Amino acid sequence: MKLLLKIIIFIIPLIIFSFFYLYLSKDNSYPGADYKKFDLPAFELQSLYDENFISNNLLDGTYLVNVWASWCITCRVEHGFLTELSNNNINIVGLNYKDNRDDAIEWLVKYGNPYEVVIHDLKGSLALDMGVTGAPETFLITDQRVIAHYRGEINNMIWNDVFLPVIKERGLVIDAK
Amino acid sequence: MILDIAHYLSILSTAIFMLTFTLVLILDRSVSHSTLLIKRSYSHAFLLFLISFLLYVYLALTDNFSVSYIAQHSNSLLPNFYKVTSIWSAHEGSMFLWIIFLSLWGFIFNLSTDRDLKVKNLSIGIISIIIVGFQLFLLITSNPFEVVLPFAPENGADINPVLQDPALAIHPPTLYLGYVGFVIPFAYALAFLINKDQSIEWEKKVKSWSVMAWVFLTIGISLGSWWAYYELGWGGYWFWDPVENVALMPWLAATAFLHSLSVASKSNVLRIWTLLLSIIVFSLSLFGAFIVRSGIIDSIHSFANDPQRGMYLLAFIAVILFVSLGLFASRLNMFESSKNIKALSKESFISLNNIFFGVLIFSTMMGITYPLIYELIYDQKISVGAPFYNAIYAPITILATMILVISIDSRWGRTIDTGRSFNMLYISLAMGLIGLSLIRYFVGDMSFIIMISFLMGLIIIFRYLILVIKNILEKKYINTPSVIAHTGLGLLILSISANSILSSEKVFNMKPNEVRKFENIRIEFNDLELLNNSNHDSIKATFALDHNGKSFYLSPEKRKYFARGQITSETAIKIMPIRDIYLTIGEQLEGGQWVVNVQLNYFIRFIWLSAAMMAFSGLLIISNIIRRKS
Repeated sequence: MKLLLKIIIFIIPLIIFSFFYLYLSKDNSYPGADYKKFDLPAFELQSLYDENFISNNLLDGTYLVNVWASWCITCRVEHGFLTELSNNNINIVGLNYKDNRDDAIEWLVKYGNPYEVVIHDLKGSLALDMGVTGAPETFLITDQRVIAHYRGEINNMIWNDVFLPVIKERGLVIDAK
Repeated sequence: MILDIAHYLSILSTAIFMLTFTLVLILDRSVSHSTLLIKRSYSHAFLLFLISFLLYVYLALTDNFSVSYIAQHSNSLLPNFYKVTSIWSAHEGSMFLWIIFLSLWGFIFNLSTDRDLKVKNLSIGIISIIIVGFQLFLLITSNPFEVVLPFAPENGADINPVLQDPALAIHPPTLYLGYVGFVIPFAYALAFLINKDQSIEWEKKVKSWSVMAWVFLTIGISLGSWWAYYELGWGGYWFWDPVENVALMPWLAATAFLHSLSVASKSNVLRIWTLLLSIIVFSLSLFGAFIVRSGIIDSIHSFANDPQRGMYLLAFIAVILFVSLGLFASRLNMFESSKNIKALSKESFISLNNIFFGVLIFSTMMGITYPLIYELIYDQKISVGAPFYNAIYAPITILATMILVISIDSRWGRTIDTGRSFNMLYISLAMGLIGLSLIRYFVGDMSFIIMISFLMGLIIIFRYLILVIKNILEKKYINTPSVIAHTGLGLLILSISANSILSSEKVFNMKPNEVRKFENIRIEFNDLELLNNSNHDSIKATFALDHNGKSFYLSPEKRKYFARGQITSETAIKIMPIRDIYLTIGEQLEGGQWVVNVQLNYFIRFIWLSAAMMAFSGLLIISNIIRRKS
């Protein structure tokens, strides 16, 4: 009995500590950033506001896709920065993720709408194809290809360090309508 | 100049704390002259450190922006009050305060008298070396004394506006006092183990210290909940944010620890378990500091991401934890296997509830670490949120409260008198069922788990009510702190259940002079004015509300802070006994309309009231102990 107690009290903290150690020693200043490139999956989903369908063919040029939901607290935190981006003429497509339509519309009314269009992805099917694991996430897309992706809240620092280098490197013009 | 003095004093204090530890190691700990030396050495180290902190406060008050930390987090436009609180608005300064409190607990403990010189001196040594570890962490990885070179900026970057709030001024300090207070039972337990004298009743000696730390932790957590409610405008009381969880875990462990302490000090069983709990409580407190300061988890509370700090803290906490666990394991044989606990005795019920506390702590730990483990293995992020915690906390809490209501009237070392006690239980069950049907009649349909929660909350309150009446009539002793704390728990369960099914919210688009109705409340948008304050501009909307013939005004604001350009919204809350009317204004729409959000939050005051009852019961315990001594 005492031996068992000894083993348990050492093993549990040891496991927890080693995971934290591994996690901290990962050499990555932005664990949420991901530069895997892939084609924007083909999709046809309803707009949040009306019955019209939005498909991948309707979206051109360079823009951001921001995955959000009214139930997501971090989305509220990041909302101010998205509004700032949108005021600077950066196109943002909202991907409303596993959310009740009325709640989502109410949320946008309450906090303001920084999005050009909002796609209503009730079942999360497009999000699944894009490799979304939760909200919020943000994708940078140009010519139907995803070129950068960030999991978690984006802010000025993330924008400057994760997205802007990719944009500059490719000489993209993101604020063209 | 003053900055340099403050910096040197901190370094000097670290050296003297190290000296204190060395003195404890080399001197004969059982004689009074070495005790005096150790005592003085500790006091000097603490006083130097305190002076260093006070000088730092002075630097913040006098807008010394050559100090990098003050330049980043304060501003000359800030009122003096917030110049001081800006010190704990970010990592370095709050760590400074954290260590000040850690050493303050040790200082007060150091002044207390104790006949067991050996154990007392060992405890002081253990506290000193822990302080040294954290002071080195402060000075090496997060130095608050760093200067801006070559020129000081003219003004500071300002405190984050959501932190400009009286509640925030006291929320972190209270919470820190709670966290680090558990260093006393921890150090004393280790000293007891090193000393190997089983006859010393360490459980009795650390009781008032542990209760005090628990009171601070309870108040600190409640203040945080209150602040999120009215300042962040989250509109609720608990969000299962990782940093709320790391405060909840030590609280649960400490609650289990306090219960076990009373068992161990009365009947000599559960001593091993209580020792282990004292180690767990303090380790979980340190774990909280690690989570917040390593940047591992993104949250409103987390400080800037710096892996070096995370590594240092992780290593230091690992050393503290494994050394104490090693000591614990090597001393297990010191205790003869405790005699079996009698079934249905008070200690058996407390042991059973300890298991429930353990399950809650373990599941919360899983909720925090599982996303990290998952990410390491699958390279993907997932989030564990409210549904997970609700699914675990609701049934476990219900089970634990069932044990609680059965255990009322149980005795130490004797089987409960099931006949007499269960009659009372049946009466409270009947009253609870009547109460529940009344609630259902007024509120309407509700889910099974909510019904059970209501029922358990009612039974706890009725059962304690019967106990008090009965004991007054029979002129028997009443354990007042226990009655108050557990009635608080019943009230907490009731108010959380009621809050979750009754609260509602609605969003309106309104122009000035328009009128809307929400439930039985008439809301009229009266006026909009622009105000200029010392560090922000604000738009203040005034609404006239009419509720059951009573009318009053509410004025939510939107503020723009100059230094950071950040925009915040200030809620306006009409506090009523049963519910709060909670008003916020959002964006201005085209055509002059404003987005107005109205929430009705039911029984939210009772949630904090129940926390206050628990904290108050802790204070009663301490005053009883002090009265008995004198």
